[in-house]
Amino acid sequence: MAERLTLVRQINQHAAKQRLQRLGARACEPAWVSLWTVGLGRPNGRPGAWLLCTQAMRRALLLVGAELPVHNEAPDTGIQIDHALPPPTPEALARLWLWERMATPRYWRIQVLGKAPEQLWLPCWLGYTGGRQHRLLVISGLSGEPLPMLKPVILRGLQQAHNNGQGLITSEQRGNSL
Amino acid sequence: MEGFTLFDTIVLIGYISLIAWIGSRFGKDQHNPEDYFLGGRNIPGWAIGLSVMATQASAITFIGAPGWGFEGGLERLVTFINVPLAMIVLILVLVPIFHRAGIYSIYELLERRFGPATRTLSALLFLIARGLATGVVLYAPALVLAVVTGWSVNLTIIIMATLAISYTVMGGISAVIWTDVVQMFVLWFGALLSIFFLVTSLPGGWSDVFNFGATTGMFNAIDLTLDPSVTYSLWAGLFGGFFLHVAYFGTDQSQIQRVLSSPSVLDAQRSLLIGGYLLIPQMLLFLFIGVILATYYQQHGLTPPEDLNELLPRYVVSAFPSGMAGLVIAGVFAAAMSSLDSALNSLSAVTVRDFYSRYIKPGASDAHYLKASRLATVFWGLYATLFAFFAGNLGPVIEAVNQIGSWFYGALLGTFLLAIFSHRSNARGAVAGLAAGMLAVWTVSALLDISWLYNNTVGVAVSVGVGYLVSLTAPAPSHAQLSDVMMTEAAPDMQAVLATRADNAQVIGKEARLTRRRCIGLFAWFCIMLSMLAMLQGWANG
Repeated sequence: MAERLTLVRQINQHAAKQRLQRLGARACEPAWVSLWTVGLGRPNGRPGAWLLCTQAMRRALLLVGAELPVHNEAPDTGIQIDHALPPPTPEALARLWLWERMATPRYWRIQVLGKAPEQLWLPCWLGYTGGRQHRLLVISGLSGEPLPMLKPVILRGLQQAHNNGQGLITSEQRGNSL
Repeated sequence: MEGFTLFDTIVLIGYISLIAWIGSRFGKDQHNPEDYFLGGRNIPGWAIGLSVMATQASAITFIGAPGWGFEGGLERLVTFINVPLAMIVLILVLVPIFHRAGIYSIYELLERRFGPATRTLSALLFLIARGLATGVVLYAPALVLAVVTGWSVNLTIIIMATLAISYTVMGGISAVIWTDVVQMFVLWFGALLSIFFLVTSLPGGWSDVFNFGATTGMFNAIDLTLDPSVTYSLWAGLFGGFFLHVAYFGTDQSQIQRVLSSPSVLDAQRSLLIGGYLLIPQMLLFLFIGVILATYYQQHGLTPPEDLNELLPRYVVSAFPSGMAGLVIAGVFAAAMSSLDSALNSLSAVTVRDFYSRYIKPGASDAHYLKASRLATVFWGLYATLFAFFAGNLGPVIEAVNQIGSWFYGALLGTFLLAIFSHRSNARGAVAGLAAGMLAVWTVSALLDISWLYNNTVGVAVSVGVGYLVSLTAPAPSHAQLSDVMMTEAAPDMQAVLATRADNAQVIGKEARLTRRRCIGLFAWFCIMLSMLAMLQGWANG
């Protein structure tokens, strides 16, 4: 399998705390989610945005920018969530993008660019609310925006990690296992 | 009376051409593909909110609300007094669930929860209701054009329909948020200018307006009568209008589509907040124009036009300086185009996604679906055109749009509430509730003399009640069917996982939650608005 890209975490802990605090969280931690990405742009042009998804997600995330903000380092601290699902097929990606374009007609001229999807680590911050019930909040480590659509994927990952007794193992402790 | 001069016509054409140029400049010909995506992101939230408002109601508000005010003063403001409360429900309940579910059309949620029959039926109801309401939205600018040109309304409907359909099929320009904002300001400017010219033309100025309003009871916005047949009592506004607006903003795809395509829940909430704060003042402004026009007509001994929707366009054309009238009429035009574009687009998107790609041609190419969506746009444009011919008989356009919605949306909202709050309800109950809810609305409105504002309340109550009871006759839904409406983290094992993680994560201090603060702000706004109306009424009645 090709090398997995790692997106640079742009929201630091201080900023993440502030954002999660406004959403009602009382504790927070960094996390990484493994997703597949494919470029979007005009036919025969360079990408202008990136579609991020896994087979477990119903709707893809859109990351705007000509270049992915990646670096060569492996993910640093934080739980890494990877359901090890195969990449979505090109047809599935194109159809996913079709519905996004239908929802926002301004995107009609933008197409999925033909390259095979690449796997990457998306940085996130997880917030935990207290009270009568514990709730999970997910915000992007790139923009700080809440990402509720990632919740099912992350909850499943947290449960898996808990069941495997890895819940609190940081990436440093895991070494190069990923 | 100057009438609509050649200079006005030049301004009208110039304005529409300018808006079209801005649209094509920023909507189509970007050199950098990133611009397509960044277009909506570098724009402040207030502009996005105003753009949503422009899409929602500006043109029909401009035309319909003064007619309302002329006829009944501020009494009809109770229809909108509940909007901040409705927005609280949307912000707290519906938007987070829709966003988390990752859906394109809200009717998908009903399929996951209840199965394909409920999705198909609810999407069909949306298509019928929104298609009819689009007819009214089409009628509004056609009426303005008819007043300006002296042509027949039916001819102008056909011209407007042709323009609107071509405009939508070609891609529209409403995607450019700034053009919507400009249109919004042009309309408000037109409204304020109308007030200025009207009031300065009265010998006593504002005192004439307030005296006339007070003596004719036009400032009696709060009617505490418990009689349900009183159309605009405070209770009808609170208990009927509240459900009307939750249903309108929460279960109508043309309204919620922009919220669903917001990059985050907070952005979606922000756009609703703007509506929550501005809809009442905007309506008050236009109703007040109606009161001022009533004073003007009374003092000048004028006979009002048979169709009260023509009141403000007629005044603008007759009283505004040359050029200004052209600008304001162009603003109405462009705003109506924006609303039509949005409505026709959501109608064609639901047709293709919820019907065509599922039942008629699944698995076709993108190009095929694009073609199908364009044909669907043409179809819905023709459907709306047919209805537009009759829209003039429905009274003030703004009420017509809401009345059409009230026939369908109460039952639809009941089905969504059942899906979200009753984990025992199932497909059988949902379909029965939806059908019974609509039947109840139609029966009640045909047989009983009650305010149409209660239609939605009846629809919600019957669809929830019948839906729940009928659900008891079939097995409970599976866990998977409840996944969109149940917090996954509520399960005991998941709570244990989260508790462990939270205990080992970095602690952050407490702060009032943003969503809670926003909802408290909206509630306070509702109280302020109600108090202001009560004070005005108290003053008017001595």
